[in-house]
Amino acid sequence: MNELFLNNYVIVYLFSETVLFLMALYAFFKDIVILKYWDFESFSARQLKLEKQGYLLSTIATFIFALKFILLIYFVYMIDSLSIIIPGAMCGAGVISANSYGMPLLFIKLTTIFTFLLFLTLNNLDLKAKNYPLLKLKSWVLLAALLLIFLESFFDLSYLFNIDLSVPVSCCSALFGNLEGANPLPFGLNIKNLLILYYTLYIASVLAILLENRFLTAFTLILFAIISYYAVVYFFGTYIYQLPTHKCPFCMMQKEYYYVGYLVWGSLFIGLFFGLIWVIIGFLKYKNKTAKQIAIASISLFVVLCSSYVLFYYLKNGVFL
Amino acid sequence: MKNNSFFYFLTLNLLKEKRRYAGIVIISSLLIFLLSSVLFISSSIKQTLNYTLKAQPDFIVQNIKGGKVAPINSNMVNKILNIYGVEKVTKRVYGRYFFDDKYSTLIVGVDFLDEQSNKNLETLINSTDLKQFLSKEQMIIGQGVKNYLKTHYYNLEYNFLTPDGQMKNIKIFKTLSSKSAIISNDETIMPLKSAQKVLGLKENKITDIALNVPNDSEWQTVKAKLQSLNFNIRVISKKDMQKAYESLFNYKGGLFLVLFLIVIATFSLLLYLRYTLAASLERKEIAILRAVGWSIKDVLKLKFLENIFLVIFAFILGSSLAYIFVFVLNAPLLKNIFLGGSNLTNFAKFTPVVDYGVLSTIFIIFTVAFLSSVLIPVWKIAVTEPKEAL
Repeated sequence: MNELFLNNYVIVYLFSETVLFLMALYAFFKDIVILKYWDFESFSARQLKLEKQGYLLSTIATFIFALKFILLIYFVYMIDSLSIIIPGAMCGAGVISANSYGMPLLFIKLTTIFTFLLFLTLNNLDLKAKNYPLLKLKSWVLLAALLLIFLESFFDLSYLFNIDLSVPVSCCSALFGNLEGANPLPFGLNIKNLLILYYTLYIASVLAILLENRFLTAFTLILFAIISYYAVVYFFGTYIYQLPTHKCPFCMMQKEYYYVGYLVWGSLFIGLFFGLIWVIIGFLKYKNKTAKQIAIASISLFVVLCSSYVLFYYLKNGVFL
Repeated sequence: MKNNSFFYFLTLNLLKEKRRYAGIVIISSLLIFLLSSVLFISSSIKQTLNYTLKAQPDFIVQNIKGGKVAPINSNMVNKILNIYGVEKVTKRVYGRYFFDDKYSTLIVGVDFLDEQSNKNLETLINSTDLKQFLSKEQMIIGQGVKNYLKTHYYNLEYNFLTPDGQMKNIKIFKTLSSKSAIISNDETIMPLKSAQKVLGLKENKITDIALNVPNDSEWQTVKAKLQSLNFNIRVISKKDMQKAYESLFNYKGGLFLVLFLIVIATFSLLLYLRYTLAASLERKEIAILRAVGWSIKDVLKLKFLENIFLVIFAFILGSSLAYIFVFVLNAPLLKNIFLGGSNLTNFAKFTPVVDYGVLSTIFIIFTVAFLSSVLIPVWKIAVTEPKEAL
């Protein structure tokens, strides 16, 4: 028995994921029935039953979404605390790359949360109207979200069962540091161009949302998220750690840095998710002012937070790193 | 949601139906209380051990013969001193001395005139009047040892029986403070020479060698160099010890948690049945709400907020009771599971620690179980047609 499975966090995490998996399985079958037999024009008993089951599905989806959101934070926290047990790891970066399932798992988790958020927005719009105009669409979205949960469960188990405690993993400086002078940035960028791109894309995304240009918003937001990842790891992160050689997306979630990583990554992803949701429901001819406002506020918070670390470092020390 | 009358109705409803929810709240808080007491104890001990571990030397070098730890030659110290980057290389002599077949003390031999790799010992030596202490053969003892000796009428001295069949009389100099009682409780600290005699070691033999390496990026290199000194050397680093402690307490807490999952599963089943039964009672109430214009969504919201409120209330109640039980009352009954040994127990107090990781663990495990088992029954109540129910 791997001693990993006696870690309190791992036990609770697996338990919660299992419960959610069972709920998702239940919802999955109900959802298929709805997709197959839904007929709003019909007055049959089955249709009435299905309408009621729609409520059950949206309740289960809300429940799963809320817990998935908490569990994502818990998962990151768990990964971080496992770094004591796993040889060589000093933060979550080493643990998550202990095998090839880790990074995809994290990505699937984010996608699942996004899909559920999309479902909940559609569900809200659907219930406001009298005749369930979005039912088929939202059921398909829910189906996708539930399938993602099944995929996630598979990756969860594969990831945790394949962590070998006898093999040392790399620490973040080995994973993200400048190795042999090779440039880790995409498109052959250097730090200066990366920052120019970062701020330009930020302004472009906000303008695109304000001008209600949906294609442009989707394009700039996704590009902004990708560039932000590199900007935080290779530039802003070094100011958070106050060390020019420390390049890591995970260490900032530790106590030493006041858990600021959760806020940094959280604000970026919330901004991205709400921006994309606004784009998608816009194509369905719905308006949602709140999603728009949250998206702008959240990415602005992200940019201000990152920049203020640089600014305060400069004000305190009079030099840049 | 926006209007306060909704919340007013919610709280009014909860207060009015106090008796209906009392049972659930009591059982829930009891379960949370049990789980959080155990996890609080485990995290408190872990914290204390980590605190003590910080003061420990970075490396310990042992001599292994046939898979067992054997005495090491004291001239090995000079070889280790030749390695760059090491400091405070200390000879250590220690072992267990059994008063009878049940009670024992940990004898720690210290060269009081040398520098110490253990920070606790360093502060102890700095606060001791060495001239007076070394004037005759004396020892410093832990609280537990003191209590044992007192009940056996050894108030000022003790006669140790050495393995070569002789008596060794050593006077008691003073008692260790009980601040880090888990470790120092059964310790007896005495000069190296006396300890060698009590434990039956030859003059040039010691138990092991401790050393510090201030630059922790040098640890790997120093470890490899130590290892290459002799083929039968075992090197234990502080990180290994921390890992061992971690896994020991994870094991105890984890085993309990796994068993607790079964309890939680049973509890969920009970909740499910209870809510399904209650459905028939609450139908009328819900039907009235539906008849005055509430939608299914509103009813679901009401019912869920009710249950979330119950969960949070039970969580706060259960975990604060556990906090009082563990850190104020010092966990009677339960603490023996973790502290185990009946050897010279004089355990002072658990250090209060509020570990957010542990708290969120308890919250998540309980919320998931509770809400998922009431979800379907609550939905069944909410979709009741008013016409059918009334």
